[in-house]
Parts: sequence; structure tokens; C-alpha cells
Amino acid sequence: MTTEPQMSATFEDVSDVVQRFRDHDYVMPDKVGTVVYLAAELGKPVLVEGPAGVGKTELAKTLAAVTGRRLVRLQCYEGQDDTKALYEWDYGKQLLYTQLLREQIDSLMEGTTGLADAASRLRDHEDVFFSEHFLLERPLLEAIRSPEPTVLLIDEIDRSDEHLEALMLEVLAEYQVTVPELGTLVSRSSPLVVITSNATRDVSEALKRRCLHLSLTYPTAEREMEILQLRIPGIAEDLLGQVVEVVRGMRDLDLRKAPSISEALDWARALTLLNVASLDRATVEETITLLIKYDRDVERVQGEIPRLLGRAGIDVALEQQVHNHGDGHGHDHDQPHSHSRAQGAHHHHEHDDMRTDSKGYFGSVRGDH
Amino acid sequence: MEAPVVRFAGLLRNRGVRISPAETLDALRAIRAVRLSSRAAVRESLRATLIKEARDERLFDELFEEFFSPWLATEGNCRGHGHAHDHDEPDAAGVPTDIKISEQPPDFDDPSHSHGAPEDVAKYFDDDQLATAKRMHKEGNRIDLAGLSSELMLGETDALDESVERLRHVLHLRRLSNPGAPGDFAFDAGEVVDADLSVGSVDHLPPLPGSEKLDPDELAALRERVDGAIANLPELLKGYLERLMELEQPPPKPTELNPAYRMAFDEDERRRMDALLRRLGRQLRGAQSQHRKRAARGRLNASRTMRRNMRYGGLPFDPVMAAKREDKPRLVLLVDVSLSVRNTARFTLHLVYGLQSLFSQVRTFAFVADLVEVTPYLSTSELDESLGKVFGGEVLDVDANSNYGRALEQFHSEYLSAINRRTTVLVLGDGRGNRNPPNFWALDDITRRAKQTIWLTPEPEKYWHLGASDMDGYAELCDRVELVRDLDQLEAVAGDILKPV
Repeated sequence: MTTEPQMSATFEDVSDVVQRFRDHDYVMPDKVGTVVYLAAELGKPVLVEGPAGVGKTELAKTLAAVTGRRLVRLQCYEGQDDTKALYEWDYGKQLLYTQLLREQIDSLMEGTTGLADAASRLRDHEDVFFSEHFLLERPLLEAIRSPEPTVLLIDEIDRSDEHLEALMLEVLAEYQVTVPELGTLVSRSSPLVVITSNATRDVSEALKRRCLHLSLTYPTAEREMEILQLRIPGIAEDLLGQVVEVVRGMRDLDLRKAPSISEALDWARALTLLNVASLDRATVEETITLLIKYDRDVERVQGEIPRLLGRAGIDVALEQQVHNHGDGHGHDHDQPHSHSRAQGAHHHHEHDDMRTDSKGYFGSVRGDH
Repeated sequence: MEAPVVRFAGLLRNRGVRISPAETLDALRAIRAVRLSSRAAVRESLRATLIKEARDERLFDELFEEFFSPWLATEGNCRGHGHAHDHDEPDAAGVPTDIKISEQPPDFDDPSHSHGAPEDVAKYFDDDQLATAKRMHKEGNRIDLAGLSSELMLGETDALDESVERLRHVLHLRRLSNPGAPGDFAFDAGEVVDADLSVGSVDHLPPLPGSEKLDPDELAALRERVDGAIANLPELLKGYLERLMELEQPPPKPTELNPAYRMAFDEDERRRMDALLRRLGRQLRGAQSQHRKRAARGRLNASRTMRRNMRYGGLPFDPVMAAKREDKPRLVLLVDVSLSVRNTARFTLHLVYGLQSLFSQVRTFAFVADLVEVTPYLSTSELDESLGKVFGGEVLDVDANSNYGRALEQFHSEYLSAINRRTTVLVLGDGRGNRNPPNFWALDDITRRAKQTIWLTPEPEKYWHLGASDMDGYAELCDRVELVRDLDQLEAVAGDILKPV
């Protein structure tokens, strides 16, 4: 495993998958590793379902990075049709060529007797205008015609219409595209296909049958900590545990959109930027919009913050006391300072220490001056 | 290796999971690609290839545990269902009641196979017995020993006596682990332990026998497990077979009630509903889509115009126009969930749930007296759970008397913005407002704003004027009123019910 070059396109076994994804900062359980391994081994598309922000798209991106393949992405949307997903004839180019080649065509027609003769002579050459040269490749065709191996990401397929799904069946099962004028274009290299769905509607059964199915959910606490640690190298140890606990607590609430991993990452990143070393109520309230995106949800969570913090091992009552206390001191000593939020947050933490160690308290006051 | 997987797939199918032969083939290919020694890998491979719906995952987990765990019986998990009747059947004799394992390695004198199984064991698995078992299986719903699914656990080959032969290897392992014969151990190790690992709870065992890596403690532990397994082999097999037999029974029908009163949809009904709703969805016209179609008026489609006018030397004599087409349904559902429609509730609920999960732009409102938007409750993947939430009285008082007038008025004042000229309003209910003011004006207003209003009622027209029904009045305001109380009727009217008006 270790002697193997990191860019190898195939995997040795499941643990190889997990390890190499981890090297690219993507932490996955063995379950996911197994499916990725099978997808590479059997050459079958993977249909990844799960709530937004649990790393479905990231899985495909990382897969491309790990295997050294090029990522071709098809973002699905309502009303998308085959000219946006598969291919389109480049009419402009065709027209241009007929104009430029007019003389050639004239000379070709020389000596023809009658229209029928001319037409039949022209017919011999019509292939020129319906060749791959005039074909505009859209993502699906691009992925299978690319000379270099690719990872094809079909993102949020549940947004697309049913007829596009049907169009994809040929691509997904045979890795080929049939163009009526040209015939069937087969793949130069089998792409690894990852299809994501937020499950806002059921994907058709025909498509599901052709895919390996993987449902991604929120990770376990340990795994989430690992993810945060990998993605945000400078994060404080205490903060890490608290962030994960609080976010997990919020997921248990009945919210319209529960915070997922990507939101947790944003939040932890912001807290690290603000130099927060330990959560308290005020910090959570100020930064909550990073986690919760709907007003109704924010209201719902506001009331639960003390309980959530308690869950994360932060005694809110005490915290509140210390917090007020700290503010008082802050004003005494820092009047001339413009008290930035980062400092303020830092400040709280130092007063935190005060609870247990009075020396630390004086130390922090010295530090402020 | 094929047989157990196919059988497992059959078992799942038996429980209502839809698995195509192609998927079974995928499962086989997947199993070959991963190592059989890892139970988790096998489970996830089967899951990824066989299970495509989140709702089937729980069943899969349960069945996998039952099916691939012959050890379960010894660990006190043997479920105490009455199986006495099974033991009295003649074919139960095929299940050994006692096995002696000799201390000495068996002599290699048995002509039937190269290694020779211990005689006592072979006796219980002789061909006659197996044949009987097999015949019985075909007639009744019995387990045949010959094609036993425990192959995956016991070995790779077809017959049980071969499996027993494998078990003899396990004895080898035990003996040869003593200092003095490491060579032999290595010779057989991979095969033997592979077979055994699959039998036991793989997770607890050391990786693969790189033989020299095994430290004595682990080896002792392994030996203990194997010892226990051999000693209890008859019980294990018996327990396992019993559980298998139990699994193979088709799941008991929950009730023999009239379908209309049964809450759960069976797989077939679910599929029909699914197909029907998709068809309805195609016929419903609602929101505009990005997709442009050729039309008499609209925007100029440059590429098509050029192509079409190539015959005129590229001069655009004949412009091709394209216009956006409306082809996405936008639905607002008003659902009566009161007691008076309980008998058709099952159908209604599944209809609503199906519509909600198939189409992206559906808003559902439930009412008895008060009206509540239930869209968010229906968007989870677990049908039972979400229906339970909505109709268990958690979000609205389902025991009140239905009041259509109030519900309509409430909708009119709070949610009228949900309706525009592209919206189809679908009302599901019997129109019995219990002599409350019917508020026809509210429905009238809704109807005028909506593209069309369709009322699906479970009551035939002749009952409309009976009792406290305002259905007559409502019916006048709707574009269509249809009597639909089950799938057959929905199917019958589906063809023209929701055609573009």
C-alpha cells in the first residue's frame, strides 16, 4: 500500500480506499470505502443519496483527486435537456464551413448532369458535415469520449426532469452515446461515475437498478472531529469537541435544515478566525447564522443554546456569571482600546481559566495591558 | 458461493424488496471483488448492490444478521418460537442430534473423497437423507440440506459433506498449532481459516492467518472458538436451519382486512400507485420549464433557424421560433383527515405521500377543523413515521369535527399566495362540513386563481345531498369532481382526470 504511487487509478482493497481518501483529507467509514472500491472494481456508477452538505459532491471530487482522473461535472437543473447534457451540433460551424467551402462544392458539382446526379454526388460527401468535428460535447459525452480517464459527477440528479434521467440510462449502463446522425459513440475510457441526489424526489427505478446505492448520513462524533481536525489544522482541541457536540445537538432538534458537515466546517473555521478557544453563549448567538439558515430555525435554536452548551460540557450558569464579570473587568482596563470581537472572545476564555486558577486570572489581566 | 447470495436475494424479495436478476448478478460480482473474510465488506457490498431504497435498509440489516449468523443460536439469541411441529416431521431426521469428533485424525481410507470425513458425521449426511430433504423442500417449504445456504459459512462447494470435510481442516488447525508442524499449518491455513472466519463472528478474529503473526494467545482464543463450534455443531446447525426455515416463510399478512381498511400498502400496491402518479404527473401542467419547444410564436431559435435555412444559402427566410413550455406540475393538496373519511384514509395518505415524494413542487395542507401545512412532515423518507406524525394528532386535532368552511377560509387568508395560475389544487375529502358554514366563496376564490381545481371524494354522487354534506355546492365550483377511493378507481379516471384543461 505504501509503496504504491498515490495516483494509481485502481484500489487494492477497501482499506486502501479509505487510507488514500484520508490522505486527501476526506474521512469515510469503511461502508463508504467498500462502495467506492466496488464502483472502481465493477465499473458501475454510484448513486449517493443523503441530506445536503454531508460530502456527496466532495466524494466525487476527492475520488478524482485520489485516482488522478479529470473531473467532469454535470450540474442538473429543472428543464435541462439533451443539448445541455449530452451533445449538440455546432450549427454555426457547419454553416461557416459550407460558406468557406463553396468553391470546393462548386468544383465538385462540375460535370454533373441534372439535379439528381448532383444530389447523389453531394450525398457522398454529406458525412463531412455530420462528423464528430461538428459535435459540441456536453458533459456526459465529454466524460466518455475523453482520451484521459475521467470521473463523471452528475450532481443533484433529483433536480433534473425524468426525461433526462432516461437519457442517462444508456450512458450509465454501457458508457456509450447514440447520435442518430453518427451512430454510437463508445467510451474511450470508462469513467467512474458518481451521481448525487438530495432525495427531494425519488430517482427512477431504472436508474437505481444500474447503480450501486450509497446513503450518506451525518458522521459519528469521532469521525466528525477527525474531519474538522483535518480540514482546519489550527483548531483548538477544546473547541473542536464543543463544536461537534453542539452541532450534533442541533441535528436532534426538529429543524427545517439541520446543520451538516459543511456548515459545521464553516462555523469552526469562523470560530478559529475569531480566536475563540472555548464556546460560550454570546459567541454561539453571534455566529449562529453560519450554522442555521432559516429564521424559524434560528428562533428555535436560540432557546436551546444553554442546553446544547450544557451537553458540550459547558456550564452555562457559571459561564454567564463569568461572562458578566469579565465584561466588567474589560471595561475597567480596556477603556482606551477598541475592543475587537476576536480579543473579546479571547478574553472570555482567559476568564474561564480564572474559575479554576486565580493566577491565570491575574496573568490574563497583565496580558491585557 | 453463488447459492447463498441468490437465496438471500430471494429472501429479501420474499419480504417485498424489489430485486432484479441484474442486481443479483451485480451482488455476485461485488462479493467476488471484496474479501469474503470481512463480514462488514460483504454486508456493504450486498447492501450497495441489492438495496436501493432507504426504507429497505432496516429489513436488510435484520435479515443479514439472521441469515449469515449461524452462531446466533448459541449466544442465547435463539428465538423461542414454537418449532415443535418441525421436529416431528420426517425430514427433521436429517438434522443430526449427536456428533462425535474423534481425537485421532481420521484415517485416509474413505474411498468417497480424498480426505475422508469423520465417519460419525458422514452418517448423518448420507445421500439418502439429503435426497429426502431435497424432495421435501420442493413439495413443502422445507430447507434442503444439499443446497444449504451455509455454504458461504462452511466452505465453497456444494454439498454438506464437503463442508464437514472443511470442518476437519479446522481440527487440523487446532492440532497443528502445537509446536512441531508449522509447515502443515501454513499449507492449509488460508483455506481453512477463511472458511471458519466466515462461520464465526469474523470481527473478533485476528486478520488473516499470516500464520507466524498469530501470537499464542490469539491462537488459543481461536482454538477455543473452534472447539466450542465443533462441540455444539449439531445444535448450531439445528438452530440455524430452524431460523432459516422461519425466514423462508412468507411474512405473515398483518391482517386479512378489506384492503380499504388496511393501513399499509403492500409492495405491489405501492408500485402501482407510484407508476400511476408518475403518469398523472406527466399530464399535469403547471410551472414553466426552461425547455423550449418549437412554436408558432416565441423567441427566435438561432441554431435551428440556421440549419433550416441552409437550403436558402444561409439567408433566414424561414425563422424557427421556440417558446417555453409548461411541463412541471405545481400542486396544492388540501386533505381532510377527519374521522368521517377514515375508511379511505389509507388510500388518501398514500396518494398524498406519493405525490409529495415524486414531485418537487407540492404543498400539502391537512385539515379537520383547523388547517395546517404538513409539507415538511411528509418530506422525510420514512412513510410510516411521517404519516404517524401528521395523523397521530401531533400537529393537529384529528378528533375534532371536520369543518370545511373554516379550513377553506383559513387557507384563503393565510396561504392564498401558494396558488397562482399555474397551480393545480387537489382537494381530498368528502365535503361533509357538519353543518358549519361551507364558505363557498373561499373555494370560489381559490378556484379562480388556480389553473384548475380537482376534488377527489370517496362518496358517490347519490349520497352528496344526504346528511350534512356540502358536496353539491363545492362540486359546482370545481373543474372536476371524481369518485376515487382506491387504486382501481384512480387508475380508471387517471387517463382524463388531469388532462390539460
